[in-house]
Amino acid sequence: MRDRVSRAAAGSIVVLMVAMAILGCRGNQYARIIQPGDKQMMGSHQAGQETFAPLVDEAVAKLLARHPHQQIPVQYAGTGAEPLPPPKSSICFVGIENCTAEEIGDFKAQLYELIDSKIAECDSFTSVNRRWVDAGLKELRVKPEELFIPGRMQTFIDVMQKQGQPFQYLLFAKLTSGTTRENKDYQRDYLLTLELVDIRTGAQDKQSATLSKGYHHSWTSRARSTLGSK
Amino acid sequence: MSAAARTFWWTLTLAAVVGASGCSTYSHRVNGIRDSFYRNDLAGAEQQVRAGIERDSGDADVLRLEEAMICLANNRPAEAEKLLRAVRDNFDHLEQADLAESAMSYLTDDQRRAYAGEDYERVLVRALLALSNLLHDGSDAEAYSLQTIDKQEQIIAAGKDDKGQNPKQNYQRVALAPYLRGVLREASHHDYDDARRSFETVAAWQPEFAFAKHDVERAVYGRHSERGHGVLYVFALTGRGPHKEEAIEVPSSAALLIAGEILSATGKQSVPPNIAPVKVPRVVARRHDIQEIGVRVDGHDLGRTATITNVTNLAINQYDAIREQIVARAVARRIVKKGIVYGAKEASEMVKGTPASFAVDLAGVAWEATESADTRCWGLLPDQIQVLRVELPAGRHEIELAPVIRGATVRNAPSRRFTIADGDNTYLLAVFPSDRMVGQIAASRP
Repeated sequence: MRDRVSRAAAGSIVVLMVAMAILGCRGNQYARIIQPGDKQMMGSHQAGQETFAPLVDEAVAKLLARHPHQQIPVQYAGTGAEPLPPPKSSICFVGIENCTAEEIGDFKAQLYELIDSKIAECDSFTSVNRRWVDAGLKELRVKPEELFIPGRMQTFIDVMQKQGQPFQYLLFAKLTSGTTRENKDYQRDYLLTLELVDIRTGAQDKQSATLSKGYHHSWTSRARSTLGSK
Repeated sequence: MSAAARTFWWTLTLAAVVGASGCSTYSHRVNGIRDSFYRNDLAGAEQQVRAGIERDSGDADVLRLEEAMICLANNRPAEAEKLLRAVRDNFDHLEQADLAESAMSYLTDDQRRAYAGEDYERVLVRALLALSNLLHDGSDAEAYSLQTIDKQEQIIAAGKDDKGQNPKQNYQRVALAPYLRGVLREASHHDYDDARRSFETVAAWQPEFAFAKHDVERAVYGRHSERGHGVLYVFALTGRGPHKEEAIEVPSSAALLIAGEILSATGKQSVPPNIAPVKVPRVVARRHDIQEIGVRVDGHDLGRTATITNVTNLAINQYDAIREQIVARAVARRIVKKGIVYGAKEASEMVKGTPASFAVDLAGVAWEATESADTRCWGLLPDQIQVLRVELPAGRHEIELAPVIRGATVRNAPSRRFTIADGDNTYLLAVFPSDRMVGQIAASRP
């Protein structure tokens, strides 16, 4: 009887140790390619791609829609019959200012590239390469927001022309947020504003996109909120 | 199986486990490395590190951290970065729970667990990655500084227990991380808003860092540098950082002694008397006299470095927050061992007070006595990480770094030449564990 108990105890220990060895080992890290259309991850504590991507899409589309490809009289080059395309206006995108309550970390550089690429894709505008913009700001030791100080903008235009990078528009982007708290949950409204300044006239066009996101302290709170909104 | 044979096998098993337990602590094993490093014998220190890695692969990661510090002091930042990156990845893997290893540590001691680094070490490994990278090409420094900030938040968030308590909530933060980010953003000449935000974080996390106020003001109202000028950042690793030593947990040892005596007196079997004390590691500060580093460029005194991260305070603060958990684990280990001895006697039908029972108790005492506290730690860390920012005209310059001890500047300061680029940053790093520098001054632009 006692031997049976001992064997059972020994067997249990062996099973337990094997189970611990199998189940309790450290796991490896895995990754996968998230294809377009796959479920994207959502930032649980702060904004991520789910916030920034639609903001950029909407704000840039709105801005470019107001500056369509200009129809100019058809020109002919020499004796040929091919029409010359109208020249694109050049935009100098000087940067994004983050005025939200969150540190956006590595997203800032990506937001710049997203906006810059969308401008480059459109028919109306072309953008000045960022390296030239950085070199110009560095040479003058001028901050992007200081370009509105009288004289600074002209100096910057001169420097860019000297680098062979003339432009017609300055573009500024600004990311802001507003937070509304409800007990442990909160809603944050993100606003991306694009300001396009015509350096010849000083005229300004401003377009923005907004997106609101709710942050919940538990899944039940999120479920309640989702049901309440239906 | 007869009772005598069972007794024999149980005693043999206990003896095997005793043999597997740790004997000497890491702290004793690496004393030679530290002594060589502080004597400025970097080649000797490096040789001992490599021998240590070959001898005991279990300590390889923590020894690689020591090697990285030797490389940094020796103006080999690329090698330091490579070592630190490998350790960072290993620590990330090892910080996951391993039940089998955890169970084994209850039969031996905490030295049997793979070392995943203390929380402050996991953060500092990223901060020093950023510094190492700045000293050779700087292409990944910003990513490392973001990782440092992120890791701190991850560690704190993971500290929350089932009851919603979080002993890590008040962890002291490493201000060096946002500082480096601010420095790099400012040098972009357009992301001054990020720079301001980072310097404000520095001011909040390290209020004693006097330069933070100027950094915030410069990010808001000033500019990186005047035209034709660049900026020099002098980083100094000063003093000797914290180390761990073995300490006896007296209240727990006394409580276990009494509990063991009660159980032995009233139970069917006796348990090994709690002669061997419960040992836990303790983080200890090391004394040194160095206060700051005086910076002299081209014969002009330009100021003294200030502390951006106090490593010793950070380590002690973080250890105090989780000390109860470490003590609880040590006490639980002792209870498990006594329980196993008790169970072994029951299984082999021993009679209390017989020579066989006494022999098993003796083996149990020996088993408990072989426990050592886990004193593994990054021993060549400095006491403080200090920094000074100075703006200089573009071109070649010569710098002298003179340690300040009790308000007086030490003579015969080490020097080197370096270059300032227009509108850009140059980074220097020097290691001063005492009034004498170890190795050489490393510069991102020779």
